[in-house]
Amino acid sequence: MSLKQGKHIAIYGKGGIGKSTTTSNISAALADAGYRVIQIGCDPKSDSTTILRGGNDLPTVLDTLREQSKVRLEDISAVGFGGVLCIEAGGPVPGVGCAGRGINAAVEQLQELHVFDEFKPDFVLYDVLGDVVCGGFAVPIRDGLADRAFVVTSSDFMSIFAANNLFKAVNKYAPSGGARLGGIIANSILAAYAPALIDDFAGKTGTHVIGYVPRSLVVAQSELYGKTVIEAAPQSEQAQVYRNLAKYIDENEESVIPKPLNSPELKKWAREWGDRIFEVETGVVHEMASI
Amino acid sequence: MAHHLEASRNSCALHGALQLFEAIDGVVPVIHSTSGCGVQHYLGVTRLSGGNDTFGSPPVSSSNIKQKHVVFGGGSRLREQLKNTVKVVQGDLYAIVTGCSTEMVGDDIPAMAKEGRDQEWPVIYTNTPGFGGDVHHGYHLAVKALIEQLPDIVKSQEKIPSGLINIWGIIPNQDPFWRGNLQEVGRLLEGIGLVPNLLLGSGQNVASWQRVPGALLNLVISPWGEFPARLLEERYATPSITFEGVPVGTAASILLRRLTEQLELDPIRTEAFITREELRLNQQFARLVDTYYRAGFQREFALVGESAQVIGIGEFLVKSFGLLPRTLVITDNPSESIREALDSRLTTILPGYHTDVLFSEDKSEIADVVRAGEPGIILGSSLEHCLALELGVPFLALSFPLFDRIVLERAYAGYRGAAVLLEDLGSAMIAGSKYINEAS
Repeated sequence: MSLKQGKHIAIYGKGGIGKSTTTSNISAALADAGYRVIQIGCDPKSDSTTILRGGNDLPTVLDTLREQSKVRLEDISAVGFGGVLCIEAGGPVPGVGCAGRGINAAVEQLQELHVFDEFKPDFVLYDVLGDVVCGGFAVPIRDGLADRAFVVTSSDFMSIFAANNLFKAVNKYAPSGGARLGGIIANSILAAYAPALIDDFAGKTGTHVIGYVPRSLVVAQSELYGKTVIEAAPQSEQAQVYRNLAKYIDENEESVIPKPLNSPELKKWAREWGDRIFEVETGVVHEMASI
Repeated sequence: MAHHLEASRNSCALHGALQLFEAIDGVVPVIHSTSGCGVQHYLGVTRLSGGNDTFGSPPVSSSNIKQKHVVFGGGSRLREQLKNTVKVVQGDLYAIVTGCSTEMVGDDIPAMAKEGRDQEWPVIYTNTPGFGGDVHHGYHLAVKALIEQLPDIVKSQEKIPSGLINIWGIIPNQDPFWRGNLQEVGRLLEGIGLVPNLLLGSGQNVASWQRVPGALLNLVISPWGEFPARLLEERYATPSITFEGVPVGTAASILLRRLTEQLELDPIRTEAFITREELRLNQQFARLVDTYYRAGFQREFALVGESAQVIGIGEFLVKSFGLLPRTLVITDNPSESIREALDSRLTTILPGYHTDVLFSEDKSEIADVVRAGEPGIILGSSLEHCLALELGVPFLALSFPLFDRIVLERAYAGYRGAAVLLEDLGSAMIAGSKYINEAS
């Protein structure tokens, strides 16, 4: 790849946690603010950019690799809301082949197409499949492809567990030129204790939360219309939440190498929070506790 | 401490399986992997064992998968390759072997083999990623595939001859003398009234493998033959006899007597055969005596090879030929139990004499140990040739890799093999020695 164009951001998180929704809304907000944005879905499901494109079909990069035809950028990309260039890496059908290698192959293909030189983006957002299960899914944060990684998590333990795993991957690759961690995006915030739990996890791992996205009907409704919140409900509070996230990513260059918890530490931390939540729910009042 | 391994002599599981399949007439191997696996098999194995096999060169069928097959799965490529192979190469059995990349991806090989069988093609498969083990493991996997899958594919009505003995543990090419050695072991068995099932080499075919379950006994002549014997004992309750090492010279007599006792054969017939063979070998010894003393044959030797070779050949050189086992190097990473056989038959039989024993496949480590022992002759692979030149001692290449001599039918096993070994060893010793000058 020639001189890198724009800021490259990778967004990770457990499957189903709202990565694609969050990423698409950040892309939309950045585009709305006048930036040139590319969003690359790195997930075999190929549905990262759906709500940017109104749900239209888009051939994936790997589909073209399979066909071995001469690939042109316009064949594998679509221009979505606010001019966001949407690309889906694609992958094999579940249970066959190697999706991890697919991510690798798709990124190579994009580099061969000189996508970044041609489009000259201000931002490139990689929306990467859930857990970092093997080396292939770590490609966007290796080799200096992305500068920063953000992780989307809710207050569910499995989601925190996946975030901790991403921290391990960042911790491994960052010293040799891989991406550093930009921060945590707390998503689906509903329970009262959720922000405190995620804050505490951030504190324990030497990271910080860059924004709290409340659980909202507006998101679900917009998605049903095949749109981002930025497009469907630009005046909503939820849209402002995403704009703030985009603003943070735009204006803030801060990044760290996280200190992931090891397995016993994570279990101990989770158990302590289990006790605290139980006490809150059942109304246990400790001595000297301020109410 | 971890250290690098120089010039490993143990190739990967894929190659071990390929070597077995290639050694059976009518078996057509089909590699499902990247193109390098087949080429490497030729460059790194078959070309380095005294001569090539039918498929032991680039013509071996291979799916040669590319990146798209890794990403999307290579099942369809294998299906196509199998179909084309059946069209182009006539065979009695098609054997799919797999490489690392297709195993990482998790291609469903059993399903592909079944598809082939549904088309009435005789197809077996074995999953042989190199990361799963070395060439010996590959031999095990291929033998297992044949034992377990063949009965469901090819039905045999043939009557099994009585007294049939399966021979296990000789890995084609990994023992460069495998053809000759198997022939000679077969001749020994015939000599006492048994019917050998050699399984590998010229004339051995799928029918030979169909006879395996009906054998009277499994004869194991290397640590690598123990696994097939165990498998057959579990499936067919066939008993086995383990004889560590290729029997060379009078060790053959011990083996034949054990067989006679266990199988309750006619001892008179066995003794008559042994007497005849030993007499002939002794006559060869007698003819060699003069040169033996004039050229100073009795000296310390270093022997580098697989455990079956080191025990078999080493024991003969010490017990029958009067040489001293200065350094023994075992290169095939056998289980520790092989040490017992080494000790009882080789390293403790000379009171007060110390033998260095090394288990290693690292060329430089082997060279250091052999050099330190200051042997009077080196027997090893072609990799030890330069070392012998450096030390200025005679050299005989007899273990894998073997790239400085041709081996077609030569054997070092049995009585006849012992005589051949004496010829080769004696020739190596007198070549360039003072003895030649005196004689001329």
